[in-house]
Formats: sequence, structure tokens, C-alpha cells
Amino acid sequence: MLATLVARRAVRSGALWGLVFAVFIVVQTSAYTSQYTTRAARAGLARAYGTNLGLNALLGQARAINTVSGWAEWRFIGILTILGSVWGLLTATRLLRGEEEAGRLDLLLVGQTTRGRAAIQATAGLGAGLLAMFVMVAAGTIIAGSRASVGLSPGHCLALSAALTSGAAIFLAVGALVSQLASTRRRAAGIAGALLGVAYAIRMVADTNASVHRLIWLSPLGWIEESHPLTGHNLSPLLLVLVLTMTTAVAACWLARRRDVGAAVLADPDASAPHDRLLGDPIGLAVRLMRSTVAAWLLAVAAFAVLIGTTAESAASDRSGSSGIEQSLSRLGGHGSPVADYLGLTILVVALIVALIAASQVTAICGEEADGHLEALLVRPLRRTSWFAGRAALSILVLAVAGVVGGIGTWAGAATQHAPVGFGTLIAAGLNVVPPALLLFGVGALTYGLRPRVTTRVVYGYLAWSSLIELAGGLVKVSHWLLDTSVFFHMTPAPATKPDWTAAAVLAGLGIAGTVLGGLCFDHRDLQNA
Amino acid sequence: MAVPAIRIDGLTKRYGTSTALCDLDLEVEPGEVVGYLGPNGAGKTTTIRLLLGLGRPTAGRAEIFGLDCQRQAVAAHRRLAYVPAEASLWPSLTGDETLHLLGRVQGQVDLGYRAELIGRFALDPTKKVRAYSKGNRQKLLLIAALMSRPELLVLDEPTGGLDPLMEQAFRHSVGEARDRGQTVFLSSHILSEVEALCDRVAILRDGRLAEIGTLAQLRHLSALTVEATFDGVPPDLTGVPGVTRAIVDGCHVHLQLQGPIAPLIEALAGTGLRGLLSREPSLEELFLAHYGAADDELTRDHVPVGVSDGDGDRP
Ligand SMILES: Nc1ncnc2c1ncn2[C@@H]1O[C@H](COP(=O)(O)OP(=O)(O)O)[C@@H](O)[C@H]1O
Ligand SMILES: [Mg+2]
Repeated sequence: MLATLVARRAVRSGALWGLVFAVFIVVQTSAYTSQYTTRAARAGLARAYGTNLGLNALLGQARAINTVSGWAEWRFIGILTILGSVWGLLTATRLLRGEEEAGRLDLLLVGQTTRGRAAIQATAGLGAGLLAMFVMVAAGTIIAGSRASVGLSPGHCLALSAALTSGAAIFLAVGALVSQLASTRRRAAGIAGALLGVAYAIRMVADTNASVHRLIWLSPLGWIEESHPLTGHNLSPLLLVLVLTMTTAVAACWLARRRDVGAAVLADPDASAPHDRLLGDPIGLAVRLMRSTVAAWLLAVAAFAVLIGTTAESAASDRSGSSGIEQSLSRLGGHGSPVADYLGLTILVVALIVALIAASQVTAICGEEADGHLEALLVRPLRRTSWFAGRAALSILVLAVAGVVGGIGTWAGAATQHAPVGFGTLIAAGLNVVPPALLLFGVGALTYGLRPRVTTRVVYGYLAWSSLIELAGGLVKVSHWLLDTSVFFHMTPAPATKPDWTAAAVLAGLGIAGTVLGGLCFDHRDLQNA
Repeated sequence: MAVPAIRIDGLTKRYGTSTALCDLDLEVEPGEVVGYLGPNGAGKTTTIRLLLGLGRPTAGRAEIFGLDCQRQAVAAHRRLAYVPAEASLWPSLTGDETLHLLGRVQGQVDLGYRAELIGRFALDPTKKVRAYSKGNRQKLLLIAALMSRPELLVLDEPTGGLDPLMEQAFRHSVGEARDRGQTVFLSSHILSEVEALCDRVAILRDGRLAEIGTLAQLRHLSALTVEATFDGVPPDLTGVPGVTRAIVDGCHVHLQLQGPIAPLIEALAGTGLRGLLSREPSLEELFLAHYGAADDELTRDHVPVGVSDGDGDRP
């Protein structure tokens, strides 16, 4: 009963994301084979990319990318592992802790034999979702691999698919585990997200600096990269993935058996002395409710900014002759110093985190209404539009601060290495990542005004789409109108080039217009029942 | 004449193709306590959400103290307080913090009364909302509404989850509000509660007003309940003019009587009648008369065994 319920939702979502991955794989592979037809072209590509440490930091170390196998392995593992991991942790925390938080699990557990059994069933349901994703991805790789110009054996295709869904597997299990630990879905997702961030950061450092490459074994994402399912002959790192996933899942079930329904291992105290300082008005309330989440996000921005700052100098000095890069990368027109080029590319991670903050802000606004909390404010003398305006302004402020923190972090990191980039340049580069996030926020706010129930899906879906387009567009030429749909596309790669403030102003303006329009629509519709 | 506390004029709300509320007219005078009854899905909550400006009406309008519920919502909200059926508040705030916040947003709080209410409802305000039971959350909302001493209290099934002792405290507080001249609009499914508190009752059915009036007026409209006990097998009384829903249970007969009582007395003469009991219907029976015992599960608990029409499918 519980197994079917969790399984049905996990399978639906896993199959959908798996389908997106499959389409991405097929399209990208055919683009590669049709665009780089000659050996010389592929060698040029390998020269440009194989040595680009910015890309290595973002996606993992490139290996033999003058062949389809090497290129596909690097590309798809680098991009889809992260997206799969995010899917895994969001799905697991939503279906386990989210349902429990909403009190729906109590109903289901009536008549269940034991709590432990229910946990095993729920975990099995998540496994079904993973299987659905694997089937889709495998179908995509087999379709792509069976073409004569690609020529991958079915065995290789399955190995690649296993590697591509490994991130999802690990983070489904991690999500299940933290769902036992944390008392709210949001906190559970936060902890799992932090773990993913640490794993990514370790992999990034290991792939940027050859002398510390051994660190890669500390990160599960590193194991996936090291499995090299198409170019290597040693899949044993995937065994590590399997062991980690199984132990984590077993630990989750064990913890579930030992606690009450609705309770959490890391429970908060149930009583406290009143702290009324921020509780004078709705904005204060919003600050109080989101301060720890926002602090965690800003910490993530700072951490990644410092990280790319400190790796910039060594990355740039390691680089040997990659002059072809300017021509082959449409968006990465490196006209600056090698350090600036590296930063212009890797700051994409910061841009992505700031966009994630925007998405989470929209979700938080939606949540206030969906949980029925907003109603308690709006039945009192408080205008809907003033609540919305205040709340949106707060979110926009958070995004701007995140951009500045990103700039300062990058500068601080670079300064420790005496890298030749100025403070002002990097603050500008930090602010430069804010407009895409604003645009995403505006899209979210508009959706919220029109269709609150689909807002979360629209925002994260659009963000996932934009990241795919962005990461795909750099290498293989995608039609221009497709690129245009990415929130990141019109963001200049500062500090590699000077920020294009006109384009930035247009993005920000669109975002703010969307927000205002969303607020007006919100004022005219029914408030949703809890 | 004074401005009515609530004035509803042709209010209609459609969700897609289904009509939740249809052309409702209703007026509540200042100082009145009005009960708002109806089976599940009748449209009680819908009405209240429109009154509060949470929902936008498809047609018609509503006013609170002469203020338009949609366009002058903020001014209207200064004069009312609302308790929803489902308490959802910020789980991470304590009871105290919640009351502080809601008081500040409301803009007016009687602090002495607030303390009194906390005592009366026996609420521990240092606990976080997430640690409260449903009943305690409901108490918190009641306190938050009552503590501002609003001119109008809008209550939507406010006592779900309260134990009998707290139900008593609730009635006491509403009585207090009435004595101070506050207006109360109480949607409820606990009929005894409405009977004890309300001056007037409006009964809603399928989004339309089925009945409205004082309890006395409604009783007149409705049948008299008669219980007759016989020495032997009771006679067949179903043919007697005015008799409805006659139920035979051993040597007892339970029936409803509409109109004059004389034909029944005549029919009973010489039938071995041992005892006769007649009384005005309770609100419960009025309610059942309107909806039939079977089509409202809410009132199932209140139906005494043996009075039902004896549908075969009841367990
Ligand atoms: N947001 C909504 N969307 C669609 N239908 C709704 C919505 N809210 C209420 N309804 C429908 O309107 C009718 C009246 O509901 P409601 O006012 O909640 O009844 P009550 O409070 O009397 O139990 C019901 O049939 C219900 O299903
Ligand atoms: Mg209701």
C-alpha cells in the first residue's frame, strides 16, 4: 500500500527525468558526430577542452574526448550525475519526510504491521523510481549508441547508464536517511544538498589540481567519474556506489524503525522562551523563518566562490596552449587573462547556486500559502499586495547579497593565491550572476500569481532546462532560439569579459516585470485552501 | 437603522462547472449571534472565505459593517476576527510568539483578556506550535481571535478537536462576547452548540439558503415529535393526517406530526394507549428533517438508535 503509493509517484518522476536525460543524450551525441566529423576536428576539440581546467573543474576530468566514447562519458557523467543527484535528494525527501510532515503517513500506517516494514516498503518504492529512470536512460544511450557513427556495444551502453544513474541512487538513499534525521522536508533537503555540495567541491578540487587528484576517492561523485564506463575497463568504483547506496538505505530503514511517526532523530526543542524581536510584522516574520536557510545558501555561495578563486591561479598556470577555445566556445569568449578566463567559466557554479536560491525563494513564498499560514495574516488588516511586495523585495535583496558574496568570495580566494584580478572586477562579476536569477524569480512569481500549484515544478523545471541548455550549448552548437530560452544565456562570462550591463538590465527588468505582474494576478485570484 | 454587521447580496461562487454557492442573500444585525448550519460541502466555508476576501466571488457582493469585502478588505478586517476550521500556523513559533505576531498584525489586543483566555483555555504558550495537539492549535486560534475583542467574530467550525471542558470554555467566551455586544457568525456542525448560543439560525443546503429564522420560528415550521406507548401491539397510525415518519419499536411508536394535533388524539382514543409524550423538535431533529437521516454523515453520531428511518445499509 505504502510501497505502491511511493512507487507510483517516484516512478512517474523518475521516468520523466529519465526521459529528459535520454533526449539530452541522443541529441547531444548526434550533434557531436555530425559536427566533428573528421579526426582533425576532434583532435582540435580535445586540445581545446582536454586542457581547459575550468571545464574540468565544472564537469570532471576529460579523457580521450577526441572519441565519441570519451566525449560522451565526460559530458554526460559531468552533467547528468549532478542533475540526477538533485532529483534523488528532492524526490526522497519529498516522498518520505514531506508526506510525514503533512501527516499523510499516519493514515497510511494504520493497519501496517510495523513501522520498520513501512520504511522498507517506502525505500522499495524509491528503488522503483530509480529503476524507471535507469530504463529511460538506458533506452536513450542504446538508441544513441546503436547508430553507426557512434557504435557503442549494448554492454557499454548499460554500463554508462548505470554510471549516469549512480548519483540518483546515492542521493535517493541519502535523502531517505536524512528524512529520518530532520523534522521538516526543507531541512532534510538542506542537509542532503549540503552533502552533495561537499561531494561536488571535493571532486572539483581533485580535478583541478593534479597533485591532489587522489582526493577524488573521498567523493562519491569522484567514484562515478573514475568508473569511466566507456573508456576504462574497471567498473569497480561503481561497486563502491552500490555499497554506499545499500548501507545508507539500510541505515535509513533501521533509524525509521526506532522512532515514532512524525518524530525526527534530530528533533528541535518543543518549548522555548519567546523571542518577539522580529515578530512585529510579516517581513520580520519572513526574515525569521528563512534566516537559517538563507545563511546556509550564502555559505554555499561563499564556499564555492572561494574554491574557484583559490583554484584559478594554479588552473591558469597549468594550462598549456588552448588558443582554440575562444573559437569553439560560443559563450566563453575568453579575451582576458588566463585566470579571468577560468573564473568566467567556473563562476557558472555560483550563478547556478544563486538561481537555485531564487527558485527556493519562490517555493518558500508558495509554501506560505499552500501550508495555510498566509491565511492567518491575510484575514487581518494586511493588504495582499503589500505582503507580496515586501516578500518579493526581501527575496530580491537576498539574491543581490548572494551575488556580492559570490564576488567577494571569489576575490578572497584568488587573493590568497595572488592571482591578478581586481576586487572591483570580481564584485562586478558577482553581481553579473544576479540578473538570470532575477529572471527566474520573475517567471516563478508570475506562475505563482496565475497557478500556484504548479509553481514549484515550473521553476525547478525551467532551471533544469536552462542548465542543460547552458552546459550543452557551450560545446555543440544548439540553435540560437533554443539557447535564448536559457536564463543564463544572456549572462556575459565575467570576469573573462566585461559584464554587458545592458543585457543584464534587460534580464533584471524582465524579472521584476514578471514579479509585479505576478503580484497583481495574486491579488485577483482566490487564496488556496490549505 | 444600524448598518448590518454582515450583508450578503446575491453571492455566488463557482469552481469550474460546480457551483459551491448560489445567489445567497443574508443579513446579520450588529450584536446578533447567528448560527450557520449545513451538511458537509454545503458551502459554509466558501461563504466565509468570500466574506473575508480570501476568495473572489463569481457574482454578487458582501459587506461587513458597510465595507465591501473585496475592495475594502483591510478596513473590514480591522473590525473582525476569524477562526478557521483547520488550524495551520507556523510550526517553529511558540504559542506566545504566535499570539504576539498575530496581535501585532491585527493592531489591537486586550492584553489582560489575552492572559485570562490563556488561563481559561489552559494553554501552555511556551510550547512550539509543532508540539501542540490539534485541539491546542485550535485553542491558540480562538485566543488569537478573541483577544482583539473584534466587533464581529467569524467562526468556521471552531471547536473541532476541543474536549468537552474546552467546549464549555468556548461557549462561555462566545457568551461573553455576545454580552459585550459583539456580533458572532458561527458555522458549526455541533447542533447543541448552535442551539445553546445562537439567536438565529441559517441552514444552507447545496449552496442555497434552505431556511433562516429564530429557533422558535424554525420549530413552528417543523413537526412535533410524539412518542406513544401502548399496552399491546400499536395501531397503524400512518394514515392519520399530518403524521410522518412513524417508527414502531415494540410497543412504542415514534412519529413526527405536522399541523393540528386533534386528528391524532382522535385516532389514539380507545387503542390501549398507556403513555403519550410530545415535545418540540430539537435543532437536531430540524436538521434531520431537512436533510434526512441518511444523507448527512456528520450527524450520524447524534442520531439515537431506533429513530432512524431504518435504511438497510447502516451498520
Ligand atoms: N478550492 C475549491 N475548488 C473546487 N471546489 C471547491 C473548492 N473549495 C470548495 N469547493 C467545493 O465547494 C463546495 C462547498 O464547499 P465548502 O464551502 O467547503 O463546504 P462546507 O464548509 O459547508 O463543508 C463543495 O462541494 C466543495 O467540494
Ligand atoms: Mg467547511
